[in-house]
Amino acid sequence: MLQATSVLAKPSAWGSAEGWAAEVIAVFVKDWRCEFRTRYALNTLALFALTTMVVMSISLGPIGIDRTRGTKVLPVLLWVILLFSVSAGLPRAFIQEEESQTATALRLSATPSALFCGKLLYCLTLVGALELLVTPVFVTLMNLEVISPALLVGTLAAGGYGLAVGSTLVAAIIAQARTKGTLFSVLAFPVLLPLLLLAVELTFNAVAGGGGGVALPQLLLYDASVTVVGLMLFPVVWNP
Amino acid sequence: MLRFENLRRRFGRLSVLEGVSGEVAPGQALLVTGPNGSGKSTLLRCLAGLLSPEKGTIEYREDDKVLETDERRRRVGYVAPDLALYSELTVAENLEFFARIRRTSPAWGFEVLERLGLPADRMGGALSSGMRQRLRWAWALLHRPRLLLLDEPFQNLDAPGEQGTRDLLIEHLDQGGLAVVANPSSLEIDRVAGHLRLG
Repeated sequence: MLQATSVLAKPSAWGSAEGWAAEVIAVFVKDWRCEFRTRYALNTLALFALTTMVVMSISLGPIGIDRTRGTKVLPVLLWVILLFSVSAGLPRAFIQEEESQTATALRLSATPSALFCGKLLYCLTLVGALELLVTPVFVTLMNLEVISPALLVGTLAAGGYGLAVGSTLVAAIIAQARTKGTLFSVLAFPVLLPLLLLAVELTFNAVAGGGGGVALPQLLLYDASVTVVGLMLFPVVWNP
Repeated sequence: MLRFENLRRRFGRLSVLEGVSGEVAPGQALLVTGPNGSGKSTLLRCLAGLLSPEKGTIEYREDDKVLETDERRRRVGYVAPDLALYSELTVAENLEFFARIRRTSPAWGFEVLERLGLPADRMGGALSSGMRQRLRWAWALLHRPRLLLLDEPFQNLDAPGEQGTRDLLIEHLDQGGLAVVANPSSLEIDRVAGHLRLG
């Protein structure tokens, strides 16, 4: 009996940071592999973003809006496009797991913090890809002149991270609820509003030639705060 | 050793478990039977740490150490009809992914697949219900758990599939593992040490 028992698992001694990082990467790779095979989020995000940009370009583009008003309005529109594209695709990261009943297998296997970070990494790369697609097309179609490209890149990076981490956290909270769509909107509003206000201000500064001011540190502080809250809250909302 | 006492779980006003107790020692299986809705699956979900009982205690020991719920959740092997693996991944990719996040080798999972006759290169979404059940078994045994929680474990399996999974269960018990097996009707399983009837 003693000899036979030894075949069964002993508690793993591999509880290291290396093992945790491998778990994060495994979740990230799995999510992208599934995404490449279904293209659900990619298609939703790209289709929504491109359709909105074309409509805006025809209505407000180079011939529809003068430069003075464009400088004020276009940064807002850029972030509206990014926000709604993200809202259409990102919540799937967790909701899909619940709807396809794979969440149980994940709950029984994954370390919650590693799962959260793996999903966050996936959402982050998805938002990054979206920004890479949307921003150049938007700037070209709207004939938007950017005085401080470096500030715009920094804003997109910090704002994109904020969108990814905020959406991942909200998606994790609502994944087990019945009325997911409504809840996402209600919960995402207070979580993402400060981020959007700061991102719009910084994008306006990038377009108009202003500096980062206090908005940039505030945006970075927001990103750090939501990440910490997410890591602390996720094990509670994920497990019963 | 797994021991649970006086478990209570309700969903709204519906009382599903009330005062349920039992225990299983290494090398033994506990059979849980009862009609649909009697709380078999709820009991197993509580034991797995997927649901919290409102009242009562669950104590699971490995190597004379009582495991907390979070630890127990990651250690158990769980087979249930409502458990799905990724339909966008192949059978092999599913096992490799879960082996990575469990920080273990997928070798034993692949051996179980081979024994149950499930092709590793088949897409998860293209599996029949019997094949999905075989994959659940391979997934549940992947990390060589000591405690197996089996909810209708032979559902949808053909004769060779049922024989293969029964052999795996007996081997598990022979090696000192524990099992809680829930089924609507009684099952003929060797080494059943107790029978808990719900409903």
